[in-house]
Amino acid sequence: MLKYVLKRLMYIIVVFLIASVLIFALYKSVPGDPARLMLEGSKQNMKPEEYEARYQEAVRKLGLDKPLPIQYFTWLGNTLRGDFGYSITYKMPVKQMIGVPMKNTIMLNVWSLIPVFAITIPLGIATAVRRGSRFDSIVQVVTIIGYSLPFFVIALLFIFLFAVKIPIFPISGVQTPGFTGSSIQLFMNKLYHMALPLIVMVFTSLGGLTRYVRATMIEALRMDYIRTARSKGLTEKVVIYSHAFRNALIPFITIMTGWFISIFSGSVVIERTFLWNGMGKVIIDALNQQDFAVSLAMVMFYLILALVGNLLMDLSYGLADPRVKLD
Amino acid sequence: MGTKKRHGSTFGDVLRILFLGQKHTKLSLLEEEQMQSPYKTMLRNFTEKKPAMLGVYVFILIFLACFVLPLFFPLDLQYQDPTQQNVRPSMSFMSIPKALNGNIAQVDGGSVYGVGIDTNGTVYQWGVLNQKLQAVPTNMGRVVQVSAGLDHVLALNDRGQVFTWGNNRFALAPIPMEVGFTTIKQVIAGHQLSLALDTYGYLYVWGNSNIVNVVADDVQGNIEKVILNSNVAIALTKDHRVVQLSSRDTPFAAIPQEIQGKVVDLASTDRSAAAITNDKRVYVWGGQDHGVQEIPEHIQGKAIQIDAGRGHYTVLLDDGTVESWGWNIYKQSKAPNLKNIVNISSDYFQNYAIDKDGNIHTWGLRGYLMGTDQYGRDLFVRLISGGRITLTIGAIAVIISGIIGVIIGSFSGYYGGQIDILLMRLAEVVNAIPFLPLAMILSAIIGSKISETGRIAMIMVILGLLSWPSLARLVRGQILAAREQEFVTAAKAMGITEAKIIFKHILPNVITVILVNLTLSFALCMLYESSLSYLGFGVNEPSPTWGNMLFGCNDSTVMSQYWWRWVFPSIALSLCTISINMAGDGMRDAIDPKSAER
Repeated sequence: MLKYVLKRLMYIIVVFLIASVLIFALYKSVPGDPARLMLEGSKQNMKPEEYEARYQEAVRKLGLDKPLPIQYFTWLGNTLRGDFGYSITYKMPVKQMIGVPMKNTIMLNVWSLIPVFAITIPLGIATAVRRGSRFDSIVQVVTIIGYSLPFFVIALLFIFLFAVKIPIFPISGVQTPGFTGSSIQLFMNKLYHMALPLIVMVFTSLGGLTRYVRATMIEALRMDYIRTARSKGLTEKVVIYSHAFRNALIPFITIMTGWFISIFSGSVVIERTFLWNGMGKVIIDALNQQDFAVSLAMVMFYLILALVGNLLMDLSYGLADPRVKLD
Repeated sequence: MGTKKRHGSTFGDVLRILFLGQKHTKLSLLEEEQMQSPYKTMLRNFTEKKPAMLGVYVFILIFLACFVLPLFFPLDLQYQDPTQQNVRPSMSFMSIPKALNGNIAQVDGGSVYGVGIDTNGTVYQWGVLNQKLQAVPTNMGRVVQVSAGLDHVLALNDRGQVFTWGNNRFALAPIPMEVGFTTIKQVIAGHQLSLALDTYGYLYVWGNSNIVNVVADDVQGNIEKVILNSNVAIALTKDHRVVQLSSRDTPFAAIPQEIQGKVVDLASTDRSAAAITNDKRVYVWGGQDHGVQEIPEHIQGKAIQIDAGRGHYTVLLDDGTVESWGWNIYKQSKAPNLKNIVNISSDYFQNYAIDKDGNIHTWGLRGYLMGTDQYGRDLFVRLISGGRITLTIGAIAVIISGIIGVIIGSFSGYYGGQIDILLMRLAEVVNAIPFLPLAMILSAIIGSKISETGRIAMIMVILGLLSWPSLARLVRGQILAAREQEFVTAAKAMGITEAKIIFKHILPNVITVILVNLTLSFALCMLYESSLSYLGFGVNEPSPTWGNMLFGCNDSTVMSQYWWRWVFPSIALSLCTISINMAGDGMRDAIDPKSAER
């Protein structure tokens, strides 16, 4: 097991280095001089000499006078220590700036996990067991439609139905602007605003996940051990939930990794449509305002998340399926 | 068997049967097992699935609509028209009420509606009417003249009284007191501006003077007729001269000197003006857009009445026929062959001609099938052209990702070892980084430096570069399974090069799986393109795609009042992706030998 973990770790470090060089290259190809951008706005209030001195100071501070490889390693070191750079629009370090959006995104995503799994897993199992039946074909068609619909179309439809035609939910936002009240009231207010994006989020995930659960279950139900279990005279319930589903869980880990990452990254489309102040919206705003430090920090952050997620996935494969370690 | 080629044995046959269909002949079980090639089995499995076939048919329809219809409804990227903003789907711009036929007295077209009076002086309206326009005053008596503007109407009754309804902002609603003390003979409604001319040749102006500022001091008391467009007012004086009623120097001031003193009728488009002289000749001056100055030669010496829309002219000739020329975007300058016409009226994109029996003939813009957007552009035209761009981007992105995925997957699967590990790790990382944020960043960084066409190409490349991992993994898995088979060993033993073994011996065996994956990722690429464009990081205005047509539609006003702006693109995009996915899903089931299990 230890050898397996070490091997995976090494691969991940190699991939990380390659990817980080690419991202650094992207970072360097961004239009605009970061040192000038940092001083932007204060140019009018300064004499030219003073400005020049401040500019040189900024260049030194940002390390722009050093050769590229050194810049790369300084940047990499900073990133690994959690220093993601400085946001020009918010005039504060990126790390500090993404605190609130991160909290909002995590809140939205964690809440959406519960209904999604509560619906998709039983539905997927039921369709796999009753494969080929009328019920199965209807669910199949509905889920195809579900995962073919673009997120924003579903979002627009739900806004139209539940915020415009029957105005029971607010159209957008995280909370009522200028809301005052006790912390419980504030929490309820946030929940109220979260309802519509949450519904949309759950709805958009249903189609794909149900089909995935169904496919893995069908695969598992074909195995010989299922036939053995049945011929032993076990009840169908035990066969399905104990024998088949546990084995179907293994590919499920892949999906879980995706979820783990998206908990932090958020859905760009949904957050944009509902003006939900989360990570997805941060990245859109950053790009619209040419605040590339923020957007690249986010990519770096996603990359690290993705790699950690992959490592976790590999490890859980190893735990769930002893055969994997032998490779 | 013998020498005759079996039907359905090649992939080309599969495609042909797929699109042309084939007759089913019932065979006995034994025969069927012997005669059927794998492709034929797949095809039969596929054609038996109703949702999958439905998906194929719907997609073909959408595809044809997006690639054939734009030939008939070409898109003008630069076209915008503020007078046609947010018009709801309707084809009623020129649907004149039946009651008017046979006894029509006068008719005038507004931006997206029309107003007319019958010989008894009753007012009728048609087209897209907002609430204010529907509130026609009831106390007008016998109306003898109406004039429709952008969004308000002026009416004149037989006692010389003036009435107005429609838009009531910009001081349009209160009719100036002086107008009530004199006898009005002509009323003109324009862009938020109202004019009234009395029998003594005095002009009265009210409304919003910021768009058109009418300065008539020099000719007051000498005006015979006034015309108004979105830039300027022009007057015909009692001594048959043309005068521009503006203090500014505009192209309309370049009036040909030879016509002064001889003018009998006057009209103007947005950028040019035209006049008919007493020898029945037509003169056009001012701007030259849309070919308004190319007057048909055969009408010279025969024209007796002229009227104009936003970019075209229509004249009535002395033999009772009509002729139009100029802008033809909505076929408004394509006059039908009419006879015995006594009166014409052209406005915006519509034309009306009244014959001597009081019947009315129309040509030009009847309305918009799917309404218009915030810039007054026809949504239907944008939808079909946008579909073409969306489909093209999706297809090319899939081809790019297909090439990368197949190459990487093949090498990874065939060689294994370190190459495999590295390539698959790379695939995992590309796959693991959230797709949209990364695509957005790439688009924002690269896209700021290139042209609009370059941007479209860039989106294809970005989508292709980021969506190959799933295919690569699939191909790798398939090749891993195939490379252990005897025919590969045999090929190796014969000394065939490795590249040839991969691409000529192994890949054809897995091509169906690849095709299914490509079909499904085609839908996915279209979804990604639309999402990017919806967020503003894909294809930008003015080029339409189904995604960017929805940009800015999460606004409550648009959602509730201009529903057509988001409903139609949403339906088109959803239908397209659903049909592709249904077809792809059916294909996957059809080629999966396990799913057959008979």
